[in-house]
Amino acid sequence: MAVHVSRTFLISKFKDFFYFIQRRYRVKTKWATTRAKFPATALALQNFDATYSKQLGDVWPSVRVGMLSEQKYGALMNTFASPDDAISDLHSRGCRDFINTFETATACTRISSNIQCLVFPRGDISRFKPARPGNNGLLGYYLLDAASVLPVLALDVQPGHTVLDLCAGPGGKTLAILQSQAVRFLWANDLAGSRTARLRRTLQSYLPKEILRIIHITSFDGRNWRNMDCTFDRVLVDVPCTTDRHSLMEEENNIFKRARTKERQKLPLLQTELLLAGIQATRPGGEVVYSTCSLSHLQNECVVEQAISVARREMGITLHVQDLGSFIQIFSGTFHFAPQTATGVLVLPHLCANFGPTYMCKLQRVS
Amino acid sequence: MYREIFGVNKGSRSTCGRVRPSSSGADRRNVCSDSALRTVPFRRRTNMSSRAGGVRVLRWSLQCAGPTRQTSGAPAPFSATRRALCSARHDDGSNRRTAAQRVQQQQQQPRAELSLQCLTDEGFSEPQARAVHEAARASTRRSDARVLPSLLALGFNPASIVKLVQLCPELFSVKGSQLQQRVGNLRKLGLVEGSLQRVISYYPQILCVPVKRVSRLVGLLRERCQFTGQQVSSILRDSPGLVQDNLGQVEYMFQYVYFRMGCRQADMVKAKLFRVSLAELQCRHGFLERRGLYQTPDKKGQTLVLNPPLKDILAVSEETYLSKIATATREEFDVFRKLLAREQEEEDEQGEEWSSDEEEEEDEQGEAWSSDEEEEVHIRARDQNTGYNKRKRKH
Repeated sequence: MAVHVSRTFLISKFKDFFYFIQRRYRVKTKWATTRAKFPATALALQNFDATYSKQLGDVWPSVRVGMLSEQKYGALMNTFASPDDAISDLHSRGCRDFINTFETATACTRISSNIQCLVFPRGDISRFKPARPGNNGLLGYYLLDAASVLPVLALDVQPGHTVLDLCAGPGGKTLAILQSQAVRFLWANDLAGSRTARLRRTLQSYLPKEILRIIHITSFDGRNWRNMDCTFDRVLVDVPCTTDRHSLMEEENNIFKRARTKERQKLPLLQTELLLAGIQATRPGGEVVYSTCSLSHLQNECVVEQAISVARREMGITLHVQDLGSFIQIFSGTFHFAPQTATGVLVLPHLCANFGPTYMCKLQRVS
Repeated sequence: MYREIFGVNKGSRSTCGRVRPSSSGADRRNVCSDSALRTVPFRRRTNMSSRAGGVRVLRWSLQCAGPTRQTSGAPAPFSATRRALCSARHDDGSNRRTAAQRVQQQQQQPRAELSLQCLTDEGFSEPQARAVHEAARASTRRSDARVLPSLLALGFNPASIVKLVQLCPELFSVKGSQLQQRVGNLRKLGLVEGSLQRVISYYPQILCVPVKRVSRLVGLLRERCQFTGQQVSSILRDSPGLVQDNLGQVEYMFQYVYFRMGCRQADMVKAKLFRVSLAELQCRHGFLERRGLYQTPDKKGQTLVLNPPLKDILAVSEETYLSKIATATREEFDVFRKLLAREQEEEDEQGEEWSSDEEEEEDEQGEAWSSDEEEEVHIRARDQNTGYNKRKRKH
C-alpha cells in the first residue's frame, strides 16, 4: 500500500498554483514544536521598521498597524455578467461604488465610468461573500484590493485602444482593464507559467467568449520585449515587488527569507528593465503606468527616475510624468494618500481604509 | 475557632490577640462566633492598660449578645464599652447605642422578618428604612436581620447600609456566621479597617462569596503568580471584583502580561491590572504592539524601543492613552477593537476544532515562574499549534 512519493522534490500547493521545493527545506508545521526563531515575516517587519519609519515619519505607526491587520477588499463588478442582483444586494449591505460617486461626477477630469468597484464605507470591517455564478455562468464580481483598481483608472483606456499588460498575473488589473469595455486588443503577459494559467482560468470564469477572443496571453520574460515590433496605445507595468502586506502576513515563499536575499536585492534592477521594456512598447504619444504594491522608495520613485534617465540617454525617448493630483482629490474620501511627491501617487494602508499599499506613476511618451 | 477569633493578627501591635480566655468553660460555650468577632476590631485599637478589664467586660457582653439566648442582659455596659473602644470615626453618638440596643432586643425575640418599625427604631430614617425593607423583600432568600448588626458593627452608618443593600440585595441571604467568617478572612488577607470598609462599600458582593473561593484566588495569586502578601492585599483592595472572576481567566491575564508584555508583579500592582478586562488589555496592548510602540522583551529583557510603563497603558483614560501613548485617532482605535474581536473569535473557533484532535499537553511549568524564562514565548494570535500553550481550552 505504499504510495510512491518523490524523494527529492515536493509539490507544494499555495493558493491555487503549484511549485517545487526541495524536501529538506519543507517546514512540517504539524510536527514542529517551535517555530523558526526568525521567521521571514519578522525579518520583513524589521526591514520595514528600519526603512519606512524614516521615509514616512509620523505616519508609519498607523501604516504599520494597518498592514498587520486584516485587509479590506473591494468588489470589482463584472459588467459582462449583468450583475444587477449582486449590485443591489451589496448596496443593501451598505456598499457603495467609490468610482462613480457624486465627487467623481462633478470633477473636472473624467474617470472611466464603466468600471464599477464597490467597497464598504470607511471604518466598516464587514467581509464580502464569495462571488456566485450568474445566469450566463459567469461570476458576478471579483474580490481584490480596491487600491489595485486605481492604476487601471489612471491608465484611462479610451475606446479602440490596444493595451499591453506586462506582468498580468494573477489577473485583477487585467480584468479591470477589460471592464472598461473600451479595449480593441489586449496582450497579457507574465513570466511564470503558473500565474499565466491562473490568469487564463480567471478570465474564463469572468468573461464571455467574444471578449476572450480579443485577449492574447503569453508567458515570456517581459524584459525581452524590446525585440518585439508591435507598439501599444496603453501599457501597464505592474512589476514584481516585495509585496509589503503579503510579506508581513504569509510565511510561505516569503521574499524576505534568507534564501531569496539576492533575488530581493536585484529587484529594483529587474523593475527598471521591465519599465524600460514597457516604455519601448508604447507608441509615441501613448501612456505607460508603472505600479507596485510596495512602499519602498527604492522600488518606486528611484526606479521611475532611473528609467526616465536611461530612456533619455540610451534610447532617445522623452517621457513626461503626468500629474495625478486631481486623482488624489477625487479619491481622498476612500483612500489614504501619502503627501504627494514629484513622481507618482502612493496609497497608504490605514485602519479606517485598509487598502494598499500601492504606488502608481503615469508617464507619457512624447517622442 | 479560638485562633480565628483571638489569633495573632499580623498588623496588630496589641497583645490582646494573645490573651486566652481564662474563665470557665461556660463562657466558651456561650460564645457565638459572630458576636465574638465583632469585638475583635475594637480590641485591636485598644492600647489601654486595662486590657484584662476590657476582656472581662467583653466576655460578659458576649454572654448577653447571643441571638439564641433568651435572657436579656443589661446592654448598657456593653454599649458603653463599645463606644469607648470604637474609633472616633464610627461613633455616631446616641444613635449607635440605641441601634445596637434595639437590635439585640429584636434579636432576642425569635423573629426572622425585618419590619419598618424595627428599622426606624434602629436609627434609619423613614425613606432609608423603606428602601432597606424593599431590598430585603427583593432578595430571593428569606431575609434575615442578622446581617444588619454585623454591618453596623463594621462601622457603617445607616445611609451607607441602605446603599449597600440596594447595590447587593443578596447580602440578606448571607448568614451572620458566614459574614463574620468572611470578614475575618478578609482581615487576615490584609484588608485592615479603613480599606475593609472601603472595599465593602465599593463592592458589597465580596461578602457573598464563600471563604473557599477567596482562598483559592489568593492561592493562585500567591503560588502560581508569585505575588507577595502585601501585593495580594493591594490587588484585593483595588479590584475586589476579582473574587467572582474565572480563575483561568485571571491566570491567563497574568501570563499575558508577564510573558507577552514582559512586566513584573510590582508593575502589575501599580497599574491595577485586574481592574481592566482581558479584552481591553489585549486591545490596548495589541494596538501599541502593532504600531511598533511596544515590543516583547527578549531573553535578556531588552527591547529596541522604550516600552511605555504598564500603568500608563492601563490606568489612564482612553483619551490620554490615545493622545499621549498611542498617538492615534479614536476612529482608528475603534476599528482596531472590532478587528481584534473578530480575530479572536475566529481563533477561538479554530482552537476548539484543534483541541479535539490534539492530545492534552501537560502543564509542567505550573508551579512557579522564575524571572528569566528559558525560551522566548510568543503567545501570538496565530500560534495555537506550538508546543507551549498555557491557554486552557474549553471542552
